[in-house]
Amino acid sequence: MSSASEPHASAFSAAELEFLAEDELIEIVPNLRMDPLNFISGDFGPFRPQIATQVPLWLAVALKKRGKCTIRAPEWMSIDKLSQVLESERDSEKFQPLPFHYVEISRLLFDHAREDIPDIYMVRSLVEDIKDVRFHKIGTGLEIISKERTYALRLKNLSAMEANIVRPFVTRALETLYKLGSSEMIQESDTNRQPPQAMNRGPRTTSRKDGDLILGNIFDINSSSELLLMLRKIIDKDVRN
Amino acid sequence: MAGYYDIDDILAEEELVPSVFQHDANGVGLFDSSDDTDKVIAGSRAELPFWLVRELYLRQLISIRVPPCFDRDSKTREEIGADAAHVDLKSRCAYFYTLGCKIAPLIGDKTIGPFLLVAFRTRYREVLIKAHTLSLSVAPKYLILLTNEEAKLYEAGQSSIVAFKKWRMGGPRFQMAPVLGRKRKPT
Repeated sequence: MSSASEPHASAFSAAELEFLAEDELIEIVPNLRMDPLNFISGDFGPFRPQIATQVPLWLAVALKKRGKCTIRAPEWMSIDKLSQVLESERDSEKFQPLPFHYVEISRLLFDHAREDIPDIYMVRSLVEDIKDVRFHKIGTGLEIISKERTYALRLKNLSAMEANIVRPFVTRALETLYKLGSSEMIQESDTNRQPPQAMNRGPRTTSRKDGDLILGNIFDINSSSELLLMLRKIIDKDVRN
Repeated sequence: MAGYYDIDDILAEEELVPSVFQHDANGVGLFDSSDDTDKVIAGSRAELPFWLVRELYLRQLISIRVPPCFDRDSKTREEIGADAAHVDLKSRCAYFYTLGCKIAPLIGDKTIGPFLLVAFRTRYREVLIKAHTLSLSVAPKYLILLTNEEAKLYEAGQSSIVAFKKWRMGGPRFQMAPVLGRKRKPT
């Protein structure tokens, strides 16, 4: 299908996402004495031995590499929290809230701060499991796109990496579905049969009685970092009869 | 004209469409190589690329016969109805959906739209599953069934998974600038 938007233009590479994730704050315990650092993103420090302070992840990693600090694992990265998340991730259809960059952060910490994370093996396999469960869920979730007429898709709590992986595929698939399902292709086939119904198709219907979300068209997805959001379904079962 | 510079759009319009000449035409013998007179007589059949068909049809110089893959009682329709996911669409029309969208309004067959939608919807699922699970070595067998549009979709899904896996594995992250690779001459 001819695509109006460059399909890959919106996708980040994994390394770029990792770069973005490095701006997240994390707590470190320095073992050096240093004045506050003034960055564009804010002031960090002062650094006093044994006094914990918040810094961006990239700074934490840089200090860690030089042996100038220990990193404190974020709150969510504990066996208790993670097993709880894994549990509910398995039980429910919904995605559990996790940090937006959890895949990237955990990888950075596992690589560079192995000895600072308590029970690293357990934590690591839990994170892996959670990730696998979520990916599987995304896969099955995408299958339902094809059941009805779908123009957008809402995935709540999806993390950056997950969204990035499905983005090229989903945007293309939706574009094609939209094109094939657009009114000029479909509507013609039954206008003569039931004209009033025909009003209801098209990408921008307003107000349905159950008040669900109305989304614009599928290209919104590209721009929304808050995640793919939106698409809407217009349900009309009798299109094909 | 959507996608004037879009190569896929251009290639899709290269697909041949069977048509019938309504008038004699001089100087176009290459469409019908059976005689040397360099002309095509009314009523003769030829397969013309879609871009030409559209123009000629709008001038009512030819009439279009529905290509076999879209025809109402063709085998393709039955097969799509039976098991859409395993129909070899590529060999019938490499740009099945694009061409379908273009040709439907022209010939006014109202069943083509829903037909395309059903076909895509069923095949989409298969593409999705395969893109996310299939290893690269098995893929080629499956790929030959897909039309070009579907293959693109498949590749989009596949490549993002591969890129992610690569990132996870780690490995060298810095690439050396080509200039730096050169050995310095001992002086």
